[in-house]
Order: sequence, then structure tokens, then C-alpha cells
Amino acid sequence: MKKLSDIASSRHTWAWPYILFLVLFVVLPLVLIAFYAFTTADGRFTVQNFLKFFTHSEAISTFVYSVFIAVLNTVICLLLGYPAAYIMANEDYRTPKVMAMLFILPMWINFLLRTVATVELFNMIGFKLGEGALLFGLCYDYLPFMIYPIYNTLQKMDRSLVEAAGDLGANRAKVFTKVILPLSMPGVYSGIVMVFMPTVSTFAIAELLTHNNIKLFGSLIQDYITTSDLLNYGAVLSLILLVIIGITSFFGSTEDDSQKGGLI
Amino acid sequence: MRRLFTLLLLAAGMMAAAQSNVQYELRVMAEQPLQILDTFPQPYQTEKINVTYQDGTYQLLGDTLAQGADFVVAAEAQAEWRAEFDSIFAFEAEGKHFVVWQNNRDIKNAQKRARAGNARTAFLTYLREQTVAPSRMWEYIGMGAAALVILLVVLYAVMLLRRKQAEKSMTSVQRETLHRKIADRRRRLFSQTYLWLLLLVLYMPILLILVYSFTESKVLGNWTGFSFQLYGNLFLGKGGEALNSAIINTVLIALIAALSATVLGTLAAIGIFNMRAKQRKVVTFLNSVPMINPDIITGISLFLLFVALHVSQGFWTVCIAHIVFCTPYVVLSVLPRLSGMNPNTYEAALDLGATPFQALRKVLVPELWPGMLSGFVLALTLSVDDFGVTFFTKGSGGLETLSTFIYADARKGGLTPELRPLFSLILILILTVLVFVNIRADKKAQKKA
Repeated sequence: MKKLSDIASSRHTWAWPYILFLVLFVVLPLVLIAFYAFTTADGRFTVQNFLKFFTHSEAISTFVYSVFIAVLNTVICLLLGYPAAYIMANEDYRTPKVMAMLFILPMWINFLLRTVATVELFNMIGFKLGEGALLFGLCYDYLPFMIYPIYNTLQKMDRSLVEAAGDLGANRAKVFTKVILPLSMPGVYSGIVMVFMPTVSTFAIAELLTHNNIKLFGSLIQDYITTSDLLNYGAVLSLILLVIIGITSFFGSTEDDSQKGGLI
Repeated sequence: MRRLFTLLLLAAGMMAAAQSNVQYELRVMAEQPLQILDTFPQPYQTEKINVTYQDGTYQLLGDTLAQGADFVVAAEAQAEWRAEFDSIFAFEAEGKHFVVWQNNRDIKNAQKRARAGNARTAFLTYLREQTVAPSRMWEYIGMGAAALVILLVVLYAVMLLRRKQAEKSMTSVQRETLHRKIADRRRRLFSQTYLWLLLLVLYMPILLILVYSFTESKVLGNWTGFSFQLYGNLFLGKGGEALNSAIINTVLIALIAALSATVLGTLAAIGIFNMRAKQRKVVTFLNSVPMINPDIITGISLFLLFVALHVSQGFWTVCIAHIVFCTPYVVLSVLPRLSGMNPNTYEAALDLGATPFQALRKVLVPELWPGMLSGFVLALTLSVDDFGVTFFTKGSGGLETLSTFIYADARKGGLTPELRPLFSLILILILTVLVFVNIRADKKAQKKA
């Protein structure tokens, strides 16, 4: 008997290569961001990089603007995506089953190519590249990420609750605000996280959609990281972004594991 | 779906017929006062000077260093123009002399030269083939839409009249059920229209690529007749050396990353499953970190690691980076299979004399296979799709994957035409796989029921 349990317990060692891998390529690199943020180019400790950020008006305004754009994009995606997810998940509307798949399909196509195609479309119809184009492009890229988790939670929702509410005399609006909406909140949270996080950290897209006129925080980080003598300052900006990401993912941590594992 | 495709082909045919003479249009936008700027000036469309030429009638003046030019233009030129002219050329239009720098990044240089030559600076947004057809096309679309709206209104009025007539001979109960039915139908119509409109907007750019993969034109948006030329170019490798190597790199990296991630992730999932609750919590949290981290953070952190370790970045650093963000998804696809299987079969195999490796191969892998496969496919697509992480870990040795190739291409102002058929093919492949998977899932669900 003892031997059996020995073998069973020894199987947890199978994860060790992966744990080692995670420590080396996930934990250590993240620590390195902090390390570079607090050192000078020749490796001495400093807080100068942080002070520079707080007096660097371009960085601050870019940061505020990026968060603003990300929030705006998240709100737009939510307003457009929730009704779509609701219609698809609600059996009363008899939506064809392919519809959900069609909404997810664009996620599998290279987002840069989609962005370039959007730019070409704007050129074709004579739409000026700028803030409007940026918002459209971002919404276009991330809308499926909002629809999918909300659709998932709505579909898994217990329909009998809705019926019970109806039987007890609630009208359609009441059923929605008192039953459906609260029950779908986990999906909404994870949708918000899945849209907000990539938007706030996006680079490249903004550059293409605005003719390089509007700079987002991601592009700023990219600029500093790729110029080697400003690498430490770039690390500070990354660290700030990381803090934002941490706060957002904490906010969204109430959601279950339903959103990412089963994309196929 | 088939009907939609026929419609698209019809529309494409109409556009080709409508377009008889191709013109070159030079749109010079926004004359700016002379000053050195880091980026494009903010409201860059203040004035338009339209200079339209018939094909080939523009007058080339050669490289003049802006001496005597009225305008110096920083232009974003399409690839074929770049090949046709030098990076600097000049032309004359409406009695004005223009000098063009075909690189929109080179504004400072253009302005320096403009100042030296006492000229003004202008920005030419596009120097490209432009057909006359699109404007007509929008006219037709507008007219068609108007006709459709009128038709719908007439139909609705007729329907309303007929219903009023029918209602006269009904009891009040009948009338009520009818009204409820109508309200339901109206709600359904409204919601389905919303979904289809949203889908149409989402798919517009993708359809654009799909449609224009069947024409030879080097520029997206210019239909020069139906042709399979680009598909031929793609398969014969005529899309250019850079594109070919980008495709090969993408495939190789995706295969290496997905395979390693599947092996590493499956073993890790088995390990995590057999851990005690506390340990398991820690490792699952670690596992979720690469999924939560945005591309840019994963990319930068690995970039810093490779810099700190003095590893020269290239093919293998990109592979490692891809394994980093792919493996968590494999772990998450395998874990549910583990909790669904009989925990005693592995031990039974050992008791019957199998070595742990044999037990893994003969007992565990067959059970976990579906999870491993979906993890593998997910890893494959994630790797092919990735841009952010690749961008920071590819080093400066000239390694390009498809994503970074597209980025570099788009920055230059054009898109290699052969990318269009390539992505149309990928789209069709993904569509087929998704349909196949969904049908299989449906069948399974039916069997269960």
C-alpha cells in the first residue's frame, strides 16, 4: 500500500521542468523589469528614472490619453457586444448557431493584417485616419473578446431562473435588470479585462491607424526599449504598465476559467 | 454562404466593367509652414490641391535637391512607385514644381532640403494608382440602398393594410395572440438585423482582402480584372525572398513552439494534478501569469532577460518566447481531461509491470489525447498570430515572421500583394477547421442526448 501512494505522490515531480521553465522565463524576466527600472545604464541603484517619469510631461500625457482611449474602447465594445451576446445566447431569438462562430472567427486572423485592411478600407471610402479611425480599429480588433465571455456566461445561465422571474410577475425589463444582468456580470468582468488590458498596452495598431500622429503608451515604451541608452527608462514605463495590468486583472479575478481554455 | 459569395463575385465583376481608364491621382495635402517637426502635424488636412494625370503624362524632372521647387513633398508611396523611381524625384504640376521624398519617415530631411532650396513643404499622403470606379461604385450602392428602402416601405404598407382587413373578422382573443406573435417577430427581426450589421462591419476589411486576392493589382482597392496570378505567385515563391523566408520562419517557429509546449504542458498538467492543494494553487497562479501579461510585457521582459544574459537574439529566442506564452494554454486544455479520467488506471498499469514511461504512453496519453490536440492547435494559432512578443525577441539579425513582415511592410506604406492570397487561404483553412470541429461537437452532443 505504501509503495502505491509513493508512486502516486512522485507524479507531481513531472511538473518540475515546467516550474523551472516558468521561473527562468516568466518570473526572472519580470523581476528584471523592476531591476532595470531601479538601476542606471551601468548597473547602479537609482530612483532617477522614476523621478524622470513624473516630470516628463509627454510620458504622463501619453499615459493618461492611453488609459482614456482604453476605457472608451472598453465601453464601446461593451455597449456593442453585450446586446450581440445576449441575442445569440437567448433562445427566443432563434439565432443560427453559426453566428457565435462567425463572431469568433476574426480572432484567428492576424490582427496586424486586419488592421492594415481596415486602413485600406478607410482610404478607399475616404475616411480620415486619426482618432476616429483609431477607435474604430481598436473596437474592431477587440470586440470578439468582449462578446465571447459574455456569451459564454449567458449561455451557461440557468434558464429556469428567468422563467421563474417571469412567472412571478416581473416584466421583461425587470427580468433583465434583476436576473439576467447580475448573473452575467462575471462574463462582463472578464470581457472588460480581456478588452481593456490589450488596448491599454497596444502598440503598432495606433501607429498604423493614425499615420503615426497619435502615440499611445505602448508605442512610447517600444521607442524607449528599442533605443539602448534609454532602456532603463523604458523599464520604468513597462513597470507602470505592469501595475495597471495587475490592478485590472485583480478587478477581473472574480471570473471563472471559462473564458480562455475553450476558444476552439 | 454560397449566395453571399456569388453576390461578391457579381459586385467585383461590375466594378471591373465600370472601370475603363485608369488614372493616376496625386493628392497633395496640407501645405505646411516651414518648421521642423517630429511627427506629422496634427490637423494635416487643411487644403487639398488635386492634380490629376492621365497615365504616364507627368513630367519627371529628376533629382534636383529642391532647387527652384515650389513644394517639397514627404510622400508615402506604394511599393511599385518605389521600384519605378529613385527615392527622390520631382515633378511639375499646374506650373508648380514639386520635389518628392518617398519616405514619410524622412520629413526632417525633406524640410531641411526645402529650406535650403527656399521651398515650402507639403505632404503627399498617397501616391498611388487610383481608379475612377470607386466613386461611381458608391453612387450605385447608394441608389441600390434607396431602391431597397422604398421597396421595403411599400411592402410594409401592403402588409399593414392586409392585416387591418383580416383583423376586422377576428375575436378579441385571436387579435391578442396575433399581436403578441407580431411583437415577437418584430423583436426577432430587429435583433437579427443588428447581428448581421455588426458582422458585416466586422468582416468588411477581411472581405476586402479576400476579394482583392483575385486580382493582379499591386494596390489594395484597385480592381484590375479577375485573376489567379497572386495565388500562382505565392505558390511559386515569386512574392519575394523576404516573404518566403517569413512564411518558412512562421511555420517552423509555430511547429517547434507548439510541439514543445504540448510536451511540456502535458507533463506539467499531470504533475499539477497530482500536487497537494497549496502547491497546486501556487503553480496554477504562475501558469496564469503569461496569459494575463500583455504581449508587450512578455516581450519586453524576455528581451531584458536575453540582454542581461548576453544571448544574441534570433530564431531560438523567438521559439523560447513562444513556448512561454503557449504552454499555459496547453496546461489548461489538458487539466480538465485529467479530472475526467479514472485516477486508478495509471497505478493499475504500474502494478501490472509497466514502467512509468510505458504507463504514460499506453494509458495516460490515449486518455489525454483530445486535450493535448486542442492545446496543440491553440498553441499553433497563437504562435502564428503573435506580433508583440516576436517583435521584441527577434533581435536585429533580420529575422522576420509573417506578423513582423506585415508590420514592416505597412510602415513603408504598402502591403506585399501576395499576402492577400496567403491570408485568404488561412481564413478558409480556419473556417473549415472550425466548421469541422463544431459539426463533430454537435454530433457528440446528439449522441449524448
